[in-house]
Amino acid sequence: MSENKDKRNRGGAWRFLPWFIPSLFLILWIVVSAGGLIPTYLLPHPRDIAETGYAYVFGKLGGGPYAGRFLSDAGSSLLRVGCGFAVAVAVGLPLGILSGRLSVVQRLTSTTVNALRAVPGITWLPLAMVWFGIGMKTTVFLVALASFFPIFLNAAAGARQVDPLLLQAGAMMGVKRLRGTFAILIPGAMPHLMTGLRLGLGISWAYLVLGELTGVPNGLGAVIMDARMLGRIDMIVVGIIIIAVIGRLTDQLLQGGMRFCFKSARRMV
Amino acid sequence: MRPYLRAVTLPGEKRKERILEIERLHKVFHVNDGFQPVLEEISFRAEAGELICILGRSGCGKSTLLKIVAGFISPSSGKVLLKGKSVKMPGPDRCVIFQEDALFPWLTVAENIAFGLRGRGQDKKSKAEEVERFLGLVGLREFRDYLPGDLSGGMKQRVALARVLILKPEVLLMDEPFASLDAQSREEMQKLLLSLWRELGHTILFVTHDVYEAVILADKILLMSKNPGRIREEIRVDLPRPRSRDGSGFHHFCRKLYEAIRD
Repeated sequence: MSENKDKRNRGGAWRFLPWFIPSLFLILWIVVSAGGLIPTYLLPHPRDIAETGYAYVFGKLGGGPYAGRFLSDAGSSLLRVGCGFAVAVAVGLPLGILSGRLSVVQRLTSTTVNALRAVPGITWLPLAMVWFGIGMKTTVFLVALASFFPIFLNAAAGARQVDPLLLQAGAMMGVKRLRGTFAILIPGAMPHLMTGLRLGLGISWAYLVLGELTGVPNGLGAVIMDARMLGRIDMIVVGIIIIAVIGRLTDQLLQGGMRFCFKSARRMV
Repeated sequence: MRPYLRAVTLPGEKRKERILEIERLHKVFHVNDGFQPVLEEISFRAEAGELICILGRSGCGKSTLLKIVAGFISPSSGKVLLKGKSVKMPGPDRCVIFQEDALFPWLTVAENIAFGLRGRGQDKKSKAEEVERFLGLVGLREFRDYLPGDLSGGMKQRVALARVLILKPEVLLMDEPFASLDAQSREEMQKLLLSLWRELGHTILFVTHDVYEAVILADKILLMSKNPGRIREEIRVDLPRPRSRDGSGFHHFCRKLYEAIRD
């Protein structure tokens, strides 16, 4: 396809392009810090951030308040995001596709879903804490709830816009309903499904931090909250950067995984 | 005549078997509280290997008729019999070539052609050979790994032909398949269709509004009139094949048809 053609024959500048804005930002930051324009208790020097980050990721446990905690924090956060996102996918994707194709399901779900969608996710936090206590369950609940909506809504939109001609073509070639769902409907809706999954995963990270702000002992959100209370602004910034990096990596992993598994994701998204 | 005698084919005589019978088809659409009759009293039959063109102006219900035969919509009354059996649902015995592009955009040319073979219990190797054969028949060997988005309109319709011919349908239903092509590709596709028809001997129902197309292709033309759609005339085209657009017989025939279609 024409997009693929565009990807070929690009020079080094093309490869550098995604890093342009972060680099610009970093340079500006260094200049501002070096000039002493902003006091360090509001924005630490990038060098301090780098040191704190290095200690957090590679340091020995016990070498400092946050040294070496990265693996266990990232591990538990990933587990929470993974569980919540998996629940949202398992419920949202099939339900969304059904609601996109069957007007009964659409009518059954649309009022409820859209009403619940209007409730800000943070509103659920007090209730979730009462129901599930502090920690894993509350976070998974919040993540699942928040990422359900983009996954469901995009799956429904995707399934709805699949060209009926393609389904007719399948029917006349003898494709039964179940196979048609996997061989025609899902590939045909793939661009939308992908969008929904990526949005869902993105929002998962947002609600992960929300869930972890409530005083759990470990996790990336917990570290940030802890650092705030101790006035360790450098650690807060490290936490933000790490979540940005992991968020981006999981997004790419999701896309790569989908491309690996589905021809339609490889060729149409 | 006793029944078993009917099946006997005399030497040299073309075997004539009724493949498709359309019996007293009616179709009424509901339009804001009212009823709009679209098809009325449609009856005809197609013999094995016959190429029938359904010719009529737009809005005469010819596409609706084809969709009923395909099983995409059901008639208000009447029957479609395939080899004597009533058919109601779409199936690979009556394959359709649509007017618009209906290929799967995420599959390559070869994968599109192989699509209908899945789940038929055929082994991989013979499937691949079949796909190769039909790729060759429609002249798309070099384009096997292209995606439909990279093909021209004519090439897309070739893929559409190959992916249904490979299923060996009893009847091929074609709904103005070449209408959106440029004049040159249309002529090429007509030639290709005729040569495939000669080689594979399918029964074809071909819907068109183009008089020339009908005369080039058809054994028999069903001339439809509008409001409601009826078959006004059944016309045998007895021009010798291969037909050329230059012959005076051809032009004479076309002129007669034009006059018939106008009133």
